[in-house]
Amino acid sequence: MTRAADERRIKWSYMDHWRSNGPAGPIDQWHSHRSMSSFLKQIKAVGFDAMDTFDFRLWQMYGDYGGPAKYQEMVQDHGLERIVNIFHAADYDVRNYAPHLPETHENILEDFRVTMGHWSSIELDNIIVMPATLYYDMEPITEDKLKITAELWNKVGEITAGYGVRLTCHHEFFCGIQSEPDIETFYSYTDPEYVSLFVDTAQHCIASVDPVALYRRHAHRVSGFHFKDTRNIATGDDHRHRPDSEIMAPTTGKWFYEMGTPNGLVDFTAMMTAVRDNEYQGWITVEHDKANRYGGDYAESTAVARWHAVNVLEKIYR
Amino acid sequence: MKDTLRWAYALNQWNIRMDVFVRHEDQRRALKTCSALGFHHVELAAGTGRWDNLGRPEVIELNHGGPAGFLDFLHGCSVHGVSSMYWDPGQPAEEEGWAFRSTRNRDDHAAIVESAKPFADFLAAIGTEQLVVRPAGSAWLQPPLGADDVKTIGEVWNAVGKVAAAAGVGVALHYDCLSAVHSADEVGQLLAATDPALVGFALDTAELTIGGIDPVAFYAGHADRVTHVHLKDTRYADTGEEYRMPGAETTMLRGGAGRRIERWFFELGTEGGLVDVKAFVATLREHDYPGWVVVESDHGGNPAELAMLNSWYLQHELGVAKS
Repeated sequence: MTRAADERRIKWSYMDHWRSNGPAGPIDQWHSHRSMSSFLKQIKAVGFDAMDTFDFRLWQMYGDYGGPAKYQEMVQDHGLERIVNIFHAADYDVRNYAPHLPETHENILEDFRVTMGHWSSIELDNIIVMPATLYYDMEPITEDKLKITAELWNKVGEITAGYGVRLTCHHEFFCGIQSEPDIETFYSYTDPEYVSLFVDTAQHCIASVDPVALYRRHAHRVSGFHFKDTRNIATGDDHRHRPDSEIMAPTTGKWFYEMGTPNGLVDFTAMMTAVRDNEYQGWITVEHDKANRYGGDYAESTAVARWHAVNVLEKIYR
Repeated sequence: MKDTLRWAYALNQWNIRMDVFVRHEDQRRALKTCSALGFHHVELAAGTGRWDNLGRPEVIELNHGGPAGFLDFLHGCSVHGVSSMYWDPGQPAEEEGWAFRSTRNRDDHAAIVESAKPFADFLAAIGTEQLVVRPAGSAWLQPPLGADDVKTIGEVWNAVGKVAAAAGVGVALHYDCLSAVHSADEVGQLLAATDPALVGFALDTAELTIGGIDPVAFYAGHADRVTHVHLKDTRYADTGEEYRMPGAETTMLRGGAGRRIERWFFELGTEGGLVDVKAFVATLREHDYPGWVVVESDHGGNPAELAMLNSWYLQHELGVAKS
């Protein structure tokens, strides 16, 4: 069967980092119904189809909107399709939540049994996790630790699959599994049926991993993307700073930029070409967390990123 | 919805002082923002000096090598062209010796017409249709209009209109809420004093509303003269003649005195907006309005955010398909 000329294989979602200035100073969009409505209007106006968010927003969804399904109704009232992915941002306290430590696994598994129940009222594609603790809490990275970690996520993936949601791993440059050999070893121990890869173009670049080559090697198990750019590669012990090297790395105060930024290190043309070559169908999420640092502006970064998607990437594949 | 309306976005909100909207990359970001939101034409505003490098023809040409180079710059951001350019001949320009000129002073007319020529020629060269002009200075800076003043002002705009028409560009008189030509009656007199073949009217929905004139009714009564539109909202009307306060540009419009209102202009769909935007656009559609509708934020807040909210309103409340 041939595809209709206007049928799209790619839809675009927006990861909901956002800051703006309200009458009482800087806010994020969860500040009030009014600021949420303004945010949703803006991402819809510029052409996004849907949004992603974090699961630490769950309680605000209940408190302010009546739960995930009711919040999603508001999202849909603004013309967006739905919430596509949830980022499960755990604290990774080694006392009770460290994937490389077997004694914490039951706690993590229970967390996901509860978490998946929380989100069962809406249809999700992925629950996204950073698959390891912070680098400084896992080093030295050994094959044993990677194998133990993989075994945990295989079990978690089985839980999420029971809810029809894919468990997918997002490798921050400062987490314990960020180098190319460690990523390869980790996936060699995971079950493709239960553990997918979520390619964050900037995070891999910062960790000196070519995101295009990584994607081409693992395309069969890639379940989504964060398309964002960076201008810097981590050096020295940039990846080893508490609480979070995205904020505390000594060499770089702002790591992330929107697609299309001058001097960006991610080759988005090559990335989209690889997406096309592998006939990926589904969602690509645009992200540029901390875009407001040093005078940046979320609204403008979002519009410029969307411009790049329409005027560059969709000409390659859509 | 299929109609005759053509939409553009005004860049003036990005240019808040002489050195903040100069770097070409910053201008590209604004242009890409407009393009991503479905606005493929933009309105420029005249300025002065080498930093205001989108503000004068000769400075634009120095930056881009000529009209074709400037169009290439726009096209590189998927912006197709310039709908219009705003110019106030009463605003002193360094390039013209900081001369103070007034359209109600016949002695200034020749210089005003001469000043208009490079704008008209440049706009013609880049395919722009409208030179949008401030017809008279602020009311607080001058005595009340006498019987002959409106006729005098009309004369200079007829002359500018003739020069612009020769280049293939229209001239549209823009109403603003501080202008000496203030009431509906005075605007009517000015339109009567100008040649409809040479001079049109630029209807600004928020400025008229602040000035106490209903834009819907005004358009319905003068549809044949309206050749340009600025679409924006306001939450306030100037009910106390604040426009007559000394320094009204700051005392009134920036909240320095009077009711101390710091922000007069708002995005479409703002809560408490006084402009009936839907009724106004419906009236444009009923009349098959053929000109540009320039959406403007006019220093109302974060430029990109307001452009996005305005685009959302167009797409979801006015039925404008994003191109």
